[in-house]
Amino acid sequence: MKNNVFNIKNLDLFYGSFQALKDINLTIEKNKVTALIGPSGCGKSTFLRCLNRMNDLIDICKIDGEVEYHGDNVYEKGHDVINLRTKVGMVFQKPNPFPMTIYDNVAYGPRCQGLKDKSKLDEIVETSLKNAALWEEVKDRLKDSAMGLSGGQQQRLCIARAIAMEPEVILMDEPTSALDPIATLKIEELINDLKENYTIVIVTHSMQQAARISDYTAFFLMGDLIEFDQTDKIFTQPKFKQTEDYITGRFG
Amino acid sequence: MEYIKNLKDKLKDAFHFNSKKERTDAVVRGFFLLATVLSASFIIVIVFFIALEGMIPFVTDNDGLGRVDLVRFLTGTTWLEGTAFQSNLYAVGFIIVNTLYIAFLSLLLSMPIGVLTALFIAKIAPKRIAEVLRTVVELLAAIPSIVYGLFGSGLIIVFVYNFAKLFGVQSKGGNSVLATVLVLSLMILPTITALSEVAIRSVGKDIEHGSLALGATRTQTNFKVVLTSAKSGIFTAAILGVGRALGEATAVSLVAGNARSGPSLGFFQTTSTLTSTMLQGLKETIGIDYDIRFSVGIVLMIVILITNMTLNFIKRKVGNVDVK
Repeated sequence: MKNNVFNIKNLDLFYGSFQALKDINLTIEKNKVTALIGPSGCGKSTFLRCLNRMNDLIDICKIDGEVEYHGDNVYEKGHDVINLRTKVGMVFQKPNPFPMTIYDNVAYGPRCQGLKDKSKLDEIVETSLKNAALWEEVKDRLKDSAMGLSGGQQQRLCIARAIAMEPEVILMDEPTSALDPIATLKIEELINDLKENYTIVIVTHSMQQAARISDYTAFFLMGDLIEFDQTDKIFTQPKFKQTEDYITGRFG
Repeated sequence: MEYIKNLKDKLKDAFHFNSKKERTDAVVRGFFLLATVLSASFIIVIVFFIALEGMIPFVTDNDGLGRVDLVRFLTGTTWLEGTAFQSNLYAVGFIIVNTLYIAFLSLLLSMPIGVLTALFIAKIAPKRIAEVLRTVVELLAAIPSIVYGLFGSGLIIVFVYNFAKLFGVQSKGGNSVLATVLVLSLMILPTITALSEVAIRSVGKDIEHGSLALGATRTQTNFKVVLTSAKSGIFTAAILGVGRALGEATAVSLVAGNARSGPSLGFFQTTSTLTSTMLQGLKETIGIDYDIRFSVGIVLMIVILITNMTLNFIKRKVGNVDVK
């Protein structure tokens, strides 16, 4: 079991009186891509946001159960959220670069941790952009505004920004839903490369995408985790009827 | 005749509508145009009138006193040499410096306070407290300037007077640069706070979350990302604040001390601004002494124009990261 990064036990989540997640039990394996699929409103994004405690930002959100990160419950009183988020990075649905230069965007995270050494920052920016497959496109205009990049480039910049923190896990919340097919393909290739060094949890609306890039797939429905297994098993021989209905498009 | 017939046809076309709705549309459009022309023409009328009056001292011989020398007027360091009605030696050079100096100091004082207050209201304060604070700021902005002036001359100058005594400086009853700056800062604070708050509130949650997800603290997020993103709006707040500081007359007149020469750079010296100079004794004078105040008005308008243009230029330079 030491290869598990996250161990989620009996997780319940409420928005006010509405229960968005019901008794979720799931493990996230190291250096694998885990896809979370399910129809809109099924709780997959909510679940993702539990892993780096971004749900804390919603006032009415209440959580029961345990999210263990390397054996420590991140929801335990006194757990260092800032530290957790430096280890568990996140890429959002809509590219959200900061209105600063490309360089400053990537250097933002390390700088917030107090890194000031110019040559070290240069190095981090270069490696992060290279790992995010963006370096060749922007190396001559690092001092330009990030807002001038295309949507796909902006999203890769956000990935670079997350990588710059050298996290262990990268959470991706429908990272390609706002992008065109070519940009999507690039991001998917990137995810495949990133797998070597990072553990990735990705929420996706596209079952083809889940099938293409993930090792494990979790199917959510109305706040329940219906089925969790290796991706090829989920897509070839699902155990539950709801899963089969959903992946064959007969759902709803 | 042919031409007139053509014109008639054209007019007929212009007033021919295919339906009642089209006609209503045209009439309403006409009203909009009328309103626009009216408001635009007021600006022209005002500028034209001020310019016309303000030119008199420079182009007529002012009932035998002789023309006012424009260069001397713009660069001189004494408002009036000799006595009113018997001299053409007016100058506003030092008053321009005073005006800009005071506006700059007021901005320097109220900018950080205003922006930090705005940040607190928009991002930190609980909803209900934020609501209350927002109302307070709106009320502060609605207080008439004469009330600020009375507050200044009743309280602030007393404070400044005593403060000056601490340093062993005899100020003119507290009427001074410092008192003026304090009153003006107080007056432009609500403007800056309200506008900055709107700018800060309109920064997208996604950007904020992006920063927090990178392990940045709330404080780091607020200062490095939220304020950076709101930069352009905050700059607009500063521009409007400066506009108000440059244009304020009533309150300033009550606490400035109306220095007649300068420039006054020391905090406890009396001072005068373009507006207070115009206001001072306007209703008790005639001839060149009256006309020259309109000249000061022209100078003020030009100063405001140039300041605004400069600040807008800087805003574009500084804020160019926001451009998409």
